[in-house]
Amino acid sequence: MRYLRYFLFTAALCSFASVAARAADVKLIANASVTASSVSADELKGVFLATKSSLSDGSHVEPVLLKSGATHEGFVKQYLGKTDAALETYYRSLVFTGKGSMPKMLASETEMVEFVAKTKGAIGYVSAGTSPGAAKPIEVK
Amino acid sequence: MHSVTARFWLIAATCAAPGLLNAQLNFDLAGRPVQVHSFVQQGFAYSNENNYLTMNTSEGSAAMTDGGANIGISITDKFHVGAQVYLRNIGQLGKWHPELDWAYGDYKFKDWFGVRGGKVKTALGLYNDTQDAEFLHTWALLPQSVYPLDLRSNNIAHVGGDIYGEIPLGKLGKLGYTGYVGARTFDPRGGYYYFSTDQGIPITSVSGRAEGGDLRWKTPLDGLMFGASFMDQTQDRKGVYTLAFLAGLPYDFVSNPQHTVANYFDFTHGSWHFNGELRKSNYLADITTPGFPGMFVWDGSDKGWFLSVAYRVSKRLELGTYHSRYYMGHPASPDPASNHIYDQAVTARFDITRFWNFKAEGHFMDGYGDIYSAHGFYSRDNPNGLKPTTNMLVLRTGFTF
Repeated sequence: MRYLRYFLFTAALCSFASVAARAADVKLIANASVTASSVSADELKGVFLATKSSLSDGSHVEPVLLKSGATHEGFVKQYLGKTDAALETYYRSLVFTGKGSMPKMLASETEMVEFVAKTKGAIGYVSAGTSPGAAKPIEVK
Repeated sequence: MHSVTARFWLIAATCAAPGLLNAQLNFDLAGRPVQVHSFVQQGFAYSNENNYLTMNTSEGSAAMTDGGANIGISITDKFHVGAQVYLRNIGQLGKWHPELDWAYGDYKFKDWFGVRGGKVKTALGLYNDTQDAEFLHTWALLPQSVYPLDLRSNNIAHVGGDIYGEIPLGKLGKLGYTGYVGARTFDPRGGYYYFSTDQGIPITSVSGRAEGGDLRWKTPLDGLMFGASFMDQTQDRKGVYTLAFLAGLPYDFVSNPQHTVANYFDFTHGSWHFNGELRKSNYLADITTPGFPGMFVWDGSDKGWFLSVAYRVSKRLELGTYHSRYYMGHPASPDPASNHIYDQAVTARFDITRFWNFKAEGHFMDGYGDIYSAHGFYSRDNPNGLKPTTNMLVLRTGFTF
């Protein structure tokens, strides 16, 4: 029984550590037209779930996502509280009822940086080790 | 069968066209982004007893095809317009007749206030506005106690206007709201007409109004939402009886009143998804016939509820089950099977790719409702009488783009 407790504690610690690592591995980037230098987690969730189209400073924003990969899955899980499949279903429910559009989805982080840098209002994410290029990093409070 | 197969592949090719070009069709029109999306679904149903949903399920039926395509344009950052065409052939329903599923303009003044105008999907319960898009759901068939496939046209949309928005409540979460008013839409190829003809009271004309609202509280607990909806409808239906001694006489069927209330919840946590809904309808109608004194009051009140749980095992596989119950308020027959439909469903959903899913679902049903209520089991489709239980296998595949 004692060993079971150690095992469960270690498993919990590892799972917390892996989630924490994924969160730390993702950073938010935005087009220079977005004047805010930070956003709240609640605002971020609203933007990417299409319930908010502007930040608290009034900047109009358009979410941009990666199609797949560890960075994408980490972002979706940590900041939107959904699985990738659930998020796709959510966007489709908006599209097929006319209540929203499918957001731009890009195949790589290189494309993400390029697109966000050149597109007014774009806000996206890359892994922590990826250079934001001409896009500006945004802190999540 | 040959013409059915040909029609299915034509529809599939049409709906798949955006997918063949790209995962979705995007282009710019006068500098504004335009998106085109589509879907097509094909199913097969086999039941051991009773034919269900106007399909010949007791012999196995592939008459279970539907699809749609939509286009949406962002005119400005706040103003969006779009339209979707839908068609289906489900047993005797739809008959491949294309219909305008929705078409409206949407102006979002603020995150907490927007307006929509046109033919708009009606906000009622968890899934009213998405019930004709089963590819969005775990299930091959949504719980029929609350979302009857044969009767969906009764509530699914209205032609009018909505106000909507999401109000932040600080530490109490968020409150989403929708209010609407408009004209009801009726499907002459839906279950309501099919049933009415079955009963000797075919419909010549029908009109009505719908108004109501929906509130959704996204609680501070991440993933938990509670909701409530109310809808008031009117209906003025006219026709000519084909019933025995009344044959040839006109009738007028006027609802007085027709209210529907829904209470529901939804909870997602990691790979788990729980939800449920209780729907109650208070539905009385005054039926009169010129030249005949008096009035017949028809009571179509009913109640339905379901509870479901689903678990995403992996990116490709989701498993789930629901228990669904439907009760007639005033069944015509004393037969114990004649006032309820219970359904235990077990489902496996395979997401083969992002755009292609396949579902295998078993239904274990007890009861058949009432011969005077259209709810999946029709006397015309079961000439030897309705049996008390039905077990059914449903296979359904869908492509979305």
